[in-house]
Parts: sequence; structure tokens; C-alpha cells
Amino acid sequence: MKTYSVLPIQFTLNGEKTRLEVGARESALYVIRERLSLKGTKEGCGMGECGACTIVVDGKNVNACLMAAPQLDGRVVITVEGLSSEESLHPLQEAFLDRHGVQCGFCTPGLLMSAQALIQGNPRPTHQQVVESISGNLCRCTGYQQIVGAIEDGTKKTGGEV
Amino acid sequence: MTPPAYARPENLDEALLFLKNHGADTCPLAGGTDVMVDLRSGKLETPYLLDISRLPDLQGIALSEEGLSVGAGTTISEIYASPLVAEHAPSLIKSCAFFGSPQIRNVATMGGNVGNASPSADTVPPLLVHGAKAILASESGKRTVAVEDLFVGPYRSGIRPHELLLRFILEPAGRRLSDFQKIGRRKSLAISRMSMAVLADREKDGSFASIRLALGSGTPTPMRMGRVASFLAGKHPDPQTLEAGARLMAAEMIRVTGIRPSTIYKEKAVQGLFLRMLGSLLESDAV
Repeated sequence: MKTYSVLPIQFTLNGEKTRLEVGARESALYVIRERLSLKGTKEGCGMGECGACTIVVDGKNVNACLMAAPQLDGRVVITVEGLSSEESLHPLQEAFLDRHGVQCGFCTPGLLMSAQALIQGNPRPTHQQVVESISGNLCRCTGYQQIVGAIEDGTKKTGGEV
Repeated sequence: MTPPAYARPENLDEALLFLKNHGADTCPLAGGTDVMVDLRSGKLETPYLLDISRLPDLQGIALSEEGLSVGAGTTISEIYASPLVAEHAPSLIKSCAFFGSPQIRNVATMGGNVGNASPSADTVPPLLVHGAKAILASESGKRTVAVEDLFVGPYRSGIRPHELLLRFILEPAGRRLSDFQKIGRRKSLAISRMSMAVLADREKDGSFASIRLALGSGTPTPMRMGRVASFLAGKHPDPQTLEAGARLMAAEMIRVTGIRPSTIYKEKAVQGLFLRMLGSLLESDAV
């Protein structure tokens, strides 16, 4: 079996085919932020505790800091940059604004990604499912109530469409 | 430090051949939730990372004559969503419900939880009470080991360098009570301060026909609490018996660990958790 110090990988990032060469020790977070310059995904703790680096991989929310970059190979990846279009924000993002779900904003991209993974699998989540879905995302400003409300509003606006 | 080289086997044979040649220099990579943290901190230095996260041989949950089989590469989310596990090993489901966070559960595997040999590995007390066996594969064949024997010391696993964890075989609960309880600093993302599992069968008169107990985070390795189980066997779960069982559970923990700075807390915690776990039996008796 071949071993690689640098591995060529290909994956779909926010709808676009992406190819590059990555090292085994690089995290998916490093590749997304530093190599591909998508700075929406934040680095908080770097050890899977805070959820600021949450991305959606094959429909599941994961911590980008805990994923080795070679593991992105062949996957479908969404970062916060993939939510909005040129013209408009995603209904979840609109709802975060309307509900004051953002204070300092550092945790927001990760929260949006956890919410996105939730509604991809479950377009009409219950209150409890919303609360559970963001239990791996820390916010030190808002106290979560506005965030939960925003996600509930956002899922209603998407009307089951993702 | 030289960064590790990456290898991704297409199948189990390739993985086992690689481990035969490079096992001592290789760290298997599955969900990455321990490996990536340790690589980053410098605690882990390894010439090779063997990415086993896509090996089909490590996947899947099935019920057969030998018991409930759970692949080592099955994620905590997959276990949590499995109707088979819900039916045959409720304590394992419960340990997965409170495991890390949704993001962690989506990638972390049961093989990784066992292989990392943390004293506070959440899935392990349920595995112990379900008499779980681990199937290990190497180039020269397979061997079967009781899960508790894979815990040699804190973060020291009995898995040999050229071996790979394939799957776990659990005894189905049948009509027995299978439960798990945990104390963390908070609900999500908390490393267990204390965890406990039970598998118990009762006679028609309510007394324990058989009981198994296991403790996590209280001792250097997760362990079965055989003396407490022997004490309870044949007895009724009345308040005095459960109180005595709780005290014995704490005494057993202290017998293994000695008195430590944390003992003053853990002695009470282990008793409280024991009573919380078995308290439901008490209530159902009173009705």
C-alpha cells in the first residue's frame, strides 16, 4: 500500500469541485481556512470542545479541527460560505439577524452549520431537537434563547426546503 | 518532528499487511477525536497514520447466534440510532446519548473509544456488563478477548501493534434490566467524572437472580464490580440492601485506588450514582 507525505484529494466544497494536495497532519480546518482562505469557519479551542469550526460533511455536522484533511477526499462539504447566495442570505441567517441570535458572532458560523445539518436530515425539528442539535456549540454571549428561537424561525421559513 | 505519512487501505487485508510491517510505527485513525487532539498537542508522534475510517469490515450492527455484533468502526451516532442496540443493549444506547457532542458522535467510533483505553470511556461500562468480547484481527489470524482485558492501564491498551479491532460481541439483555448512568460537569461535552452500568435479572419474587455492575472513571481502568454483585445476588432491592450495596461499591473503588484527593467527592458520587441507577427498582416495588 502506498503511503503519502502529501496526498492529492478531491472533494465538493460548497457545490464546487475542489482539488489540492494535503499533508496527513493538516486538519480539515487548516485546509479550509488557511489553504482555501474560507475564513467563515472559526478556530476556537482546536480540540473539539467548542464547535466554532463546525462544518457539514456528507450531511453531518462535524468539528473540522478533528478531521484529518485527507479524510475530506471524496466528501461533500458545506461551510458557512455555502449557505447564502450572491443575492440573499439563507433563511437561517435571516432568522439569526431578526432574532438577535448574534452578539460577538464568533460562534455563529458553527451554529449555522449545526442547524443546517439538522434541517437537512429533519426539515421540521421539534424544540427539543433544535436544542439537542446545537449542544456541541458553545456561545458565551447570548444565553442560547435567541439562537434556538432563530433556528426554529429559520426552519419554518425554509418550509422543509434545504 | 517529521509529520506522519498517511495510508488509506482499500480493504482489511491491506490494512493488516500494513500493520504487520509497520504496526509499531503506526497509529490507526478513525474518527480522529482523540488522535487529532494528541497530534496537535504533540502528545502523539507517529511515523504513520493508517486511516481505517472507510473499511467496510469494521462497519455494521447485527444480531446473530453469537450475540449482538457491533463493528469497531461504527460511530456513536450510528449506535445511538440502531433499533437492534436499543432492544438488546439499552445501557449502551444510553451511554451514546450523552457521549461528547453531536459533532463528536458523528465521527467517534466504539473501536476508538475502547482502543484509546481512557478510564472514562463512556461505552465501556455497558460493554463490561454485557460481557462484551472484542474480536481482534492480525495478518496471522483472529483472537477474541474480553473487553476488560484490553484495559491494561490508563490510556494503555492490550491491543498489540499489529492488530486491529474488528468488532464487539455483546450478550443481549433479553428481559434483564440494562442501564447506564453518568455524572459529568455538564450535560454535553463533559468527560465523565463517574459512570456506571448494570445488567440485572430478577426472580418472580423481585430478588436479584443475577446482577453485573461496572464502574467507569472511578478506577484506573473501567472495571466490573464483582464483589458488589455477589453481595446483591439473591437479595431484594429494598432500601437497606441498596444502601449497603452503594457503600460497598464505594469501598471497592477505594480498595482499588487508595485514598486520593478526589476520594472525598468520588465516595459520595459513586454511592449517589448507584442509588440513582437502581432506585427505579425500589420505586417499582413500592407500587
